[in-house]
Amino acid sequence: MTPLLALIRKEFASLFGSSLAYVALTVAALVTALTFFDHLRLYNQVLFAYASTTMGGFASDSIPDYINLWDLVFFPVMEQLGLTFLAAIPLVTMRVFAEERSRGTDELLLSTKLTPNQIVLAKFFVTFAFVVLMMAVSFIYPATAITRGGLGVEHLAAVFTGLTLHAIGLASIGLTCSAFSRSQLVSAISGWAIAFILWDFGWMQPFVSEGVANVLDAFSLHPRYGAFSEGVVSLANVVYFASLAIVAFGLARFSFDLRRVG
Amino acid sequence: MRELALAGFIAALSGLVSLYATDHFGAFAGINLGLGGLALLAAALLGVRRLRALGSPHSRPVVIRGVLRIAVCLILAVALERAAQWSGVEFDWTREGRFELAPATLEACQDLRNTRATLFYDPEDPRIRRTRLLLDTLAARCPLRVVGQVLDEAVFDEDRYGVGSSNSVVLEHGDRFETIARPTEGTIYEALYRLRSRLSGVLTLLYGNGEGDIEDERDLGFSGFATALETEGYRLRRVASAALVEVPTPTDALVILSPRRHLPDPAVNAIRRWLDAGGSLVAFIEPGVTSGLEDLLGDYGLASPDAVVIDPAYAGRNEIGASIVAANYEAHPVTQGLGKNRMTFFPGARPFHLSKPQGSDRLVRVVLASHRAWVLEDPALLDAPEPPEPGPNVRRNYQTIAAAGRYVREAREIRIVAFGDAEFASNRHLRTLYNLDLALNAVHWATEREPAITLRPKIRSIVQFPLPIESTLSALYGIGLLVPEVLLLAGGIVWLRGRRD
Amino acid sequence: MQEVTAAIDALGLTRRFVDHTALDALTLQVPRNETFGLLGANGAGKTTFIRLVTGFLLPTDGEVTVDGISPSANPAGVRARVGFVMETSRLYPELRVDAFLRFAAGAHGLSGKPRGDAIERVVERFSIGDVLRRHIGNLSKGYQQRVSLAQAFLHDPSVVIVDEPTSGLDPLQREDVHAILGALRGERTVLISTHDLAEARSLTSRVAVLHAGRLVTQGPTEQVLDSNRALSLFEAPEAGLT
Repeated sequence: MTPLLALIRKEFASLFGSSLAYVALTVAALVTALTFFDHLRLYNQVLFAYASTTMGGFASDSIPDYINLWDLVFFPVMEQLGLTFLAAIPLVTMRVFAEERSRGTDELLLSTKLTPNQIVLAKFFVTFAFVVLMMAVSFIYPATAITRGGLGVEHLAAVFTGLTLHAIGLASIGLTCSAFSRSQLVSAISGWAIAFILWDFGWMQPFVSEGVANVLDAFSLHPRYGAFSEGVVSLANVVYFASLAIVAFGLARFSFDLRRVG
Repeated sequence: MRELALAGFIAALSGLVSLYATDHFGAFAGINLGLGGLALLAAALLGVRRLRALGSPHSRPVVIRGVLRIAVCLILAVALERAAQWSGVEFDWTREGRFELAPATLEACQDLRNTRATLFYDPEDPRIRRTRLLLDTLAARCPLRVVGQVLDEAVFDEDRYGVGSSNSVVLEHGDRFETIARPTEGTIYEALYRLRSRLSGVLTLLYGNGEGDIEDERDLGFSGFATALETEGYRLRRVASAALVEVPTPTDALVILSPRRHLPDPAVNAIRRWLDAGGSLVAFIEPGVTSGLEDLLGDYGLASPDAVVIDPAYAGRNEIGASIVAANYEAHPVTQGLGKNRMTFFPGARPFHLSKPQGSDRLVRVVLASHRAWVLEDPALLDAPEPPEPGPNVRRNYQTIAAAGRYVREAREIRIVAFGDAEFASNRHLRTLYNLDLALNAVHWATEREPAITLRPKIRSIVQFPLPIESTLSALYGIGLLVPEVLLLAGGIVWLRGRRD
Repeated sequence: MQEVTAAIDALGLTRRFVDHTALDALTLQVPRNETFGLLGANGAGKTTFIRLVTGFLLPTDGEVTVDGISPSANPAGVRARVGFVMETSRLYPELRVDAFLRFAAGAHGLSGKPRGDAIERVVERFSIGDVLRRHIGNLSKGYQQRVSLAQAFLHDPSVVIVDEPTSGLDPLQREDVHAILGALRGERTVLISTHDLAEARSLTSRVAVLHAGRLVTQGPTEQVLDSNRALSLFEAPEAGLT
């Protein structure tokens, strides 16, 4: 266990010894806060506009059903942040393996008792932990605003669980791309591209049978994490993202074998 | 090979982007996807050359192990996901999953034993989940039997109960029933109350002299308030103010809604005598009107100048704050349960200044505007082209917009609740936020029926209520912006320390 | 069981890549407890050979063992015996020296008191006590190389492989490193890969010369370097002694 723990500690030290981690956390927290606040303010304004111009005020039948916290705040925030993180997460993961390869420090690691399994596991673990931290930091403001508004924080927790799992899924893709490249730029670009391709296969429905379409849907990122915005955490969706991480682990581990084979 | 792969990748990606952007599979998408696919295939074929290295005696076992490892990961991943899908396990974290029933609903439900709730539904109707959760929550807390009935399979019952659409609930108690077309906690509560129909008292309401009419169903009418009072079990008696020389008996409380003209002197005198004899009054007055009630209220220490309270706390961008969202309440039965997260809305209110006529009197400022509120002495300025501004000598402070007084005169108790705005109880605004609760609880207190004071479920789901903008803003400054600032500072310190040694 | 006499034993070692052959049927023994030089110009195959010995790469053909252990079959066994010193750039610039040594010791399986003792030992041996609290990225190349050497000795390996030990160093730093490596003579097996003839002469007792993936010549350092014009050692095999 010692080499694995030593690597995990080193990874955390490297991560938080660089200002890049703090910049990433700052940007995530700021973008989330501003996006959430913007939608919340708009929701309030729309609701007041209806209340002051229609009979029955806030709670009358004249307010359309879509004017509610889910549809005007939670759902669009989740959609927007989902795309934002699709752009941001590969920038976090691009250096994880690629930087080691370009520096040559991967050979340093391999010259110790660390096995390739342990190296991949440690890097995945630390990256996921960082992503979870990023989400946790971003969650603080919306949770405070919702709680102080007298509404339960449970639904918001479901939304953020979805976002966190989505970010972990993106990180898995990014880590795999990083493992197969020496260049951080190539890692980032391929991470974006693959995440984008996996985003939604709805466009293929006119060209394939229903069975194939269902299978493709099961692989898509967007329908999986979008379901969390309704406040229902489905085990199947949670396991989907865990499965993505498992497959990514296998592929990243394989990159070490390919390097030996050349 | 690499150049081919890169070109193929970019072409395929461009095709996909155009598909997402335009939602149309046109020539651009087709050509790019086609050519991209071909280029990638060609690159893959060229890459087969690399496989030569995989055939060496040392490499083969390593590669085979690696491929097997990936296959195991894939199989495990798919198996886990399918198993989870098959299990159907879900965690409902919506607020719907945990209905917090209002005390009034529970009380009504528990009073009515042997009540059956039948949900008529179409299996494809997505609203069913929420309604089922609500009924199950009710059934768990009180003696309610819940039954589901698919629409069109019980046509006779649908006709009998007047069920017109899916997601309708019929409450039956004995031989009485109530059909609820849009079941929410609020509508179910009202149906339960109607089934219970308990007499609470008699209210006398004035009409005819510009007062608000309880039979008026228009925007600024008060038919909704009347219905709510009847649901609470009150019997309502309308009396023309012009003919009022004596408040009729029995009257548990006199309710005066929004007089627009000066009440006749005999009526005012009758009201004064009624109060002196130990009566109760609930008065809803308006700014810009002198009705004669103001002097009477002033005699009881509830003076209300003809002015308007301006509260910018919840004002929109181009508003000065004549409409008030009140979130400040002093402890009093009338405002029981109200607070920062249970607000009330007043479209325009006049202030009250309290002073006890006698030492033993108890006057309470039950509803207050925010600490940034100020009083506009001339309400006519609201219609001026330029929005009025507070002068340098005008103090901003919590302004009283509703007050309650309790007086003992010769062993008789007088209760008065006065609101500086009547429109908050009109049809337009009665169901806004917690206005209904405030208005009804004021009547309950005035009629000395404190046990009936409660918070009623909202007709709409609470998530259509606005969040207090002040606390949202303070959370943004205090946390939403502060946290990134602290993180950036930490990053800067780490960076500088790294450079320094 | 046959006695293992060579620390590193390569037999017909071949490594082909897609577009070129980096090593071609190389047969070479590195005796125990000797400081052995691997000499050759850039692209001769020295680094490929090192990567095959350490197990970073798999051979296309042939065999190599370290203390009788094959890095293909038992990479962990080889790693436990080998300390590897890379070029100076291959460290973690964002880490402090003490943190890096703690990590390296942990990665070699050391913990608790043995870890502390090992770190103390290498800090003293390579005189890096003054820079323990500094970030590796802020050190001079000379000190970075000392740190690199220090991490290779933490687990007290029987074989130390040093790749281009003085690459990018100034003359004073180079002398420093030579002194450190010179002190290792006879203590354990050291394989030094270099293209610097003077360095090979001062540090090694035996050398092997590679060119275009093939062994040109090998033998005692003085004999190899004195009996041919220095530059001809980097020409085709036919030009040198076998």
